[in-house]
Amino acid sequence: MVLDELKEWLYGCSHCGTCKNVLDIFTPTCPAGEKYRLESYYPSGKMLIARGIVNGVFDLDEDIMDRIYACTGCLSCEQQCGIYHHQHIFDTVQALRTEAVTRGTLNPAYMIMVESLKKDDNVFGKPKAERGDWAEDMGIKNAAQEKADVAYHAGCMLSFDPELWEIPRSAISLLKGAGVDVGIMGAEESCCGGHAYEIGYMGEFTKYAEHFIETFNSLGVSRVVTSCSDGHSTFRKLYPRVGIDAKFGVMHMVEYLDQLIKDKKLNFTKKVPMKVTYHDPCHLGRHLGDDGVYEPPRDVLKSVPGIELVEMERNRANAWCCGAGAGVSQANPDLALWTANERLKEAKETGATALVTSCPWCERNFKDAVKEYGEDIEIYDIAEIAQKAL
Amino acid sequence: MIEAVKNKLVDELEKIVGSEYVSTNRADLYIYSYDLTPAETNWPDIVVLPESLEELKAVIGLANKEKIPVIPYVAGGNIGGLAIPLEGGIILDLKRMNRIIEVSETDMYAVVEPGVTFGQIKAYLEKHHPTLRYTYAFSPPATGVMTNALVQGLDNLSFRYGDASHWVSGLEVLLPTGELVKIGSCAASKTWQSISPFPETDGLFLGWQGATGVITKMAVSLWPNPPHNTAITYMAMDMESANEIFQAIIRTRIPDDLIGTSFALNKVGMAAYAHEKASLHPAVHRLPDEPEFVITAEITGNTENELNAKVEAMGEAVTDRCKGSKYTGPDTIPSTTAAFPMQALGVLSSGGGLMWVGTYGPMSRWLETAKKGCELQDKYDISRTCYTRIMNEGHFVGLRWMLPYDKGDPELVQRINDLCAEQLDLVLETGYIPYKTPVWAVRRLEELAGSDWLKLHRRVKTTLDPNNIMNPGRWGKPGE
Repeated sequence: MVLDELKEWLYGCSHCGTCKNVLDIFTPTCPAGEKYRLESYYPSGKMLIARGIVNGVFDLDEDIMDRIYACTGCLSCEQQCGIYHHQHIFDTVQALRTEAVTRGTLNPAYMIMVESLKKDDNVFGKPKAERGDWAEDMGIKNAAQEKADVAYHAGCMLSFDPELWEIPRSAISLLKGAGVDVGIMGAEESCCGGHAYEIGYMGEFTKYAEHFIETFNSLGVSRVVTSCSDGHSTFRKLYPRVGIDAKFGVMHMVEYLDQLIKDKKLNFTKKVPMKVTYHDPCHLGRHLGDDGVYEPPRDVLKSVPGIELVEMERNRANAWCCGAGAGVSQANPDLALWTANERLKEAKETGATALVTSCPWCERNFKDAVKEYGEDIEIYDIAEIAQKAL
Repeated sequence: MIEAVKNKLVDELEKIVGSEYVSTNRADLYIYSYDLTPAETNWPDIVVLPESLEELKAVIGLANKEKIPVIPYVAGGNIGGLAIPLEGGIILDLKRMNRIIEVSETDMYAVVEPGVTFGQIKAYLEKHHPTLRYTYAFSPPATGVMTNALVQGLDNLSFRYGDASHWVSGLEVLLPTGELVKIGSCAASKTWQSISPFPETDGLFLGWQGATGVITKMAVSLWPNPPHNTAITYMAMDMESANEIFQAIIRTRIPDDLIGTSFALNKVGMAAYAHEKASLHPAVHRLPDEPEFVITAEITGNTENELNAKVEAMGEAVTDRCKGSKYTGPDTIPSTTAAFPMQALGVLSSGGGLMWVGTYGPMSRWLETAKKGCELQDKYDISRTCYTRIMNEGHFVGLRWMLPYDKGDPELVQRINDLCAEQLDLVLETGYIPYKTPVWAVRRLEELAGSDWLKLHRRVKTTLDPNNIMNPGRWGKPGE
């Protein structure tokens, strides 16, 4: 989306501040606003920045860039706002970022990401050839060469962060344990393009979307399953915008896991005695609108013997963001880690000893926040917990 | 402001509050340069966000020494342009000073800092003091408790207790000259239960729009939270009938809250609740079989029996008095308190703007004023949007015509401005006084109030704020 397309929404915001807190419980929603406290960091401030730029009141300068890139794209503001423009707040932020890219006012922190996308199809500057290393010795089908019913998409974070490799490995074990005919693309897998979209690089996003849909259409898989919530919402919500029909279904691992458990394809036998709380990733919740995946992860956790699940005050559609989204963990690690630690404090208040989530970006950021701030809590992906019970 | 002066000030302010809480970026300044109303924009030079009383004292001390205007700000939602800096200077954004310092369960008050919001206090009381409640303004939950009282707002207990300044039971005020003063019982004791029996110096600050000092703490009354509630509506087919229904209910002294709105406002507002843009122009009119005015009385009871008895008594009073009136009702609807926090949605969904000529005036002239105000709306092809709240058991009444509008539509803005100018003439003629008074109405009121009144106000302002740094150009001293 570009600024010219925003005219319909530009005057929607009355700066009433309702977006700043969760309705009814009045706890904060906006990571950037709460950390920096200047009005320009809140969603309403960003709407007014867009208005100011479109009307020529001021131009994009370095300080304003800080503000528009200090948004984790969590959509909590859109969840609270009731005004007619409410589903276009992040569109506005994204349009401002696209405007910055169009004007050549690039955020230096993203240059590595963009160059890496162009060269190696991932956002971390890692060699493309290493993309499937996480699956070494697992004996998984290569879906690019061999027909598989289900393709498991690891995504950039899980492919290149060895500390998180237990997540895709657990996922594959669970799928195999349930008798699923699963394969991976290995080194042939590409970035989903979701981050490129969020930081304003529309061309890169479109390239990956087209490539992804055409690849899986031609391979004839019935379903693509991913453990990455960012990737999942990109497939579900953004890919339809490129106008190519996908001949395969898309599921997040936690949805598929829930289905396999309910279909009695998976049976948990071991006890996992833990008191846990579940963090709803923004991309698996609010980003999917009415299709937000809130109950399946809870049902999976409840099906694991020994697990006691307790809820944080802000949960489901009102969950506080982990802080990593929309390029913030790359460009503004202070904000990302502060946001994550706010969540960890909330998790600790429940009495849980572990926070469980279903997004590698969340998990990475929470783990980094534990290192930075020292909160005494363990972090797991839901597949890791389920795997313990197999 | 001269750049060198500004740079020096910024250096000093950054030492006080930290560089992250001082901004001169144009995006930040722009946000504070205007509000929902079509009031003329004016830019501040600097935005500062103190967190503590010590920081606040240092900021005010610096501003007073350098004679720099200071405009206290919490949410900016006052619909009067009151936080727009008429003469530039420092926006003192107080949102970081947001502690609920004390709630006294027995004495039924809360002591709050300036940044405490309606949403915050509601959530806090529900969690920690569920038998107590505060009153809630017809405003978004992010608006300030203290600022609402400071600008004499009307709230959902105003029928019982009057405007929000009436339930202030203590203040701590930082004067621009640096003195920190407690007002009320808190000045001489540890509790904040009442202003009396001290001389009522709270009047030097309440209603002054931040022109005499910065209130750093305020005690506000809390009330028991009755477990039973309901809302009763009457649909009046004309304004004469609405007036009769009001008069009947007033004399019962039964409701906690008594409000009325033009039916057309409700019709327009329906779009907002479907997340669509709402528009007053061209006017939406009621159909012949639709009512002109909707009256809602909020009633509470300690028991179901008490609630039912109140409903019955109020119904009988209306039946007795309104025999010749045209209306339907009573009908029961869910308590209007349940609409919080989204009760203002209907008037915030038209394109970022909201304007009104909002007034307090005598019930004795409500009918003629409300009718003429609506007729002026007809003249401008604007939907009738009269909103009225009976205050202090009928001793006065809040009356305004809600005007949500699209800020991006210059023709509509002009239409709204022209309408408001005529409505202002009307209300001043019928004895209605603009509240949260925009600066253009302040000047009109000063003319009406006369020279001795003006001398007194200027003397007060000059005594408290000799360098005229506090929100200058408003009450007490016009811009120079």
